[in-house]
Amino acid sequence: MEAHRRTPGSQTSLREANRGRIVDAVRKYGGLSQIELAGLTGLSPATVSNIVKELAGAGVLNTTPGTRSGRRAQNVTLAHGLGLVAGVHFSTRHLRIAVSDVAYTVVAETHMPLAKDHRADNELDRVTMLLDDMLESVGAAMIDLLAVGVAIPAAFDQRTGMIARRGVLRGWDGVEVADVIQRRLKRPVFVDTDANASALGELRLGAARGKDDVVFVDVGDRIGAGLVLNGRVYSGHGGMAGELGHTVIQEDGPLCECGNRGCVQAIAGGEALIQRLQSSGRGAKLQDVIVRAMTGESDSVRAIADAGTAIGIATANLCNLLDPERIVVGGELARSGELLLGPMRREVERAIVAGTRFAPEIVQGQLGVNASAMGAVALAVDRISIQPEDATAAEPGVSAGVASSVLAAERSTAREVAAE
Amino acid sequence: MSYSFGEGAPYNSAGGDPRGPVVSMRGISKSFGHVQALRNVDLDLYPGEVVALVGDNGAGKSTLVKILAGVHPQDAGTVTFEGRQVSIPSPAASRELGIATVFQDLALCDNLDVVANLFLGREVGGAVLDEETMERRSWELLRQLSARIPSVRMRAATLSGGQRQTVAIARSLIGDPRVVILDEPTAALGIAQTAEVLNLIELLRERGHCVVLISHNMADVQAVADRVIVLRLGRVNGRFRAPAMSYEDIIASITGVLNLEEGTPEDDIGERGSL
Repeated sequence: MEAHRRTPGSQTSLREANRGRIVDAVRKYGGLSQIELAGLTGLSPATVSNIVKELAGAGVLNTTPGTRSGRRAQNVTLAHGLGLVAGVHFSTRHLRIAVSDVAYTVVAETHMPLAKDHRADNELDRVTMLLDDMLESVGAAMIDLLAVGVAIPAAFDQRTGMIARRGVLRGWDGVEVADVIQRRLKRPVFVDTDANASALGELRLGAARGKDDVVFVDVGDRIGAGLVLNGRVYSGHGGMAGELGHTVIQEDGPLCECGNRGCVQAIAGGEALIQRLQSSGRGAKLQDVIVRAMTGESDSVRAIADAGTAIGIATANLCNLLDPERIVVGGELARSGELLLGPMRREVERAIVAGTRFAPEIVQGQLGVNASAMGAVALAVDRISIQPEDATAAEPGVSAGVASSVLAAERSTAREVAAE
Repeated sequence: MSYSFGEGAPYNSAGGDPRGPVVSMRGISKSFGHVQALRNVDLDLYPGEVVALVGDNGAGKSTLVKILAGVHPQDAGTVTFEGRQVSIPSPAASRELGIATVFQDLALCDNLDVVANLFLGREVGGAVLDEETMERRSWELLRQLSARIPSVRMRAATLSGGQRQTVAIARSLIGDPRVVILDEPTAALGIAQTAEVLNLIELLRERGHCVVLISHNMADVQAVADRVIVLRLGRVNGRFRAPAMSYEDIIASITGVLNLEEGTPEDDIGERGSL
């Protein structure tokens, strides 16, 4: 941290660097006392005190009096005067939570690995407790949350509020996700498929910014797509659009979890990759496959390239249907970069009917593993800035009618900030 | 294509091979008086993986890791470390080999600060301690673990459960061990601290350490483990590998409903696990 901040010369640049250090530290730890900040940044308590006072005046930091080890202390947090939103991303093996203000400044984030086949009740309990904890660490409470966005790794039926198909995410069958979380948190909750959330995240903050027609391809344990058409995320009639992973590309191929044969996911999904490469008595994760491929192990490189080809074929079909401007590839496997993107690009360019000239550019997502969590934040921010009657009309399945007075009061300010 | 273990295996023969097991235990037995705590247990530990040892109380989990930690010597059987047969007569010998153990009680000194705890018994400096170097190295270490500890000069008594666990794990990492054994690291921790410890386990795995995890919490085990070894009444009663292990199978194996014969190569079980 010291190395890249070391600036030569002037008093001003030094002060600038110190300010950066303090904000970085507060962001990392959520809430800190001034004396802890001094220890962490290596600055003198007097300097910390001055800078904190200055930044608090500028509205960047927020200070509250508290106690630490029985002594009076100033507790420093990032300012979040406009209210907070939370984005929750369940993937098949991970839980990520981001708490951010309505201008997408993340004030706290948490991540934890999840068991395969995790159960909804258990995990939703965890979300409640983790959110409580995170909010407390930034000096806020559940009431400060304007809305919560949730991204889940399965096609989500907006009409019933449940996972659209049984057996895909076993522990979550028959759970009315939004309702259950809403009952626990007592805040408005909006749910969408993780690929859609990622697409929204990349559209607002990442590689799809400023584009109107984009396909986000999510490649991990699961393969899915989030479609952005005319600048909006398109989730279809019932919310089930973009199931790219269940495009059949090999009619007599391996059996997929959906019951069909030869789906892309059954050929190029994370589990298929691991199974293909797993030879010894030890366990393996998708992460290991990527790391090994990056160190040049030929089996893994080949497996990822083959996956890229398979996904490329499916993506090419999609491109011929939708003619997107850009393909953003995200998800865990996207971390292998060109090893995956190269073969995808080759297949797409080969199969575009209108000719290579019209092929969309294929790029890696910019938000990485946080795409869905940030997308879930964006989902929440989007919904709080529309009128409650619109919300209920536009989203029949999702209970958006919880328009508390706090929400109404905050809404206009929220919109102003979002517009900036 | 597949190999189990033993002499004929392609990667196991060379000791320094990064893909061979770091530790191989064969035919380990141990009894305390009339109580036979372990009977003929085989265990392989590979670098860069998380192996969970699960089982009922008294199944022999702790005895097994205590043999690795040098607390008890085994009655029968061999331990091979990086290809050569070793005996582990004392905890110091275990450390020397590169096996670090974090016991359930963490054994932190509450009256000392984080730095002093990390370097207890290994202080840097002569008659006058080199506090500056130790503090700097503490920060380096904690930063590598993405530890959320606001100050290394906090006394251990003031740390939260998760922070204490982090300090205990950080202490075990001084000396760069090959194998890190964690005994019930998430017991008695809150949810946020549990998340911290689970992330830390994943980080250790990424850095190429082999992590042996003893836990009663199946959700935690399933979240981070690549392999699960079930012990029951001193015997190995099941071996499961990551993609194919299910909660039900593991529980059935712990309680003895599912009984897998001893010494079955893990590859066979891996396939059977997908029943």
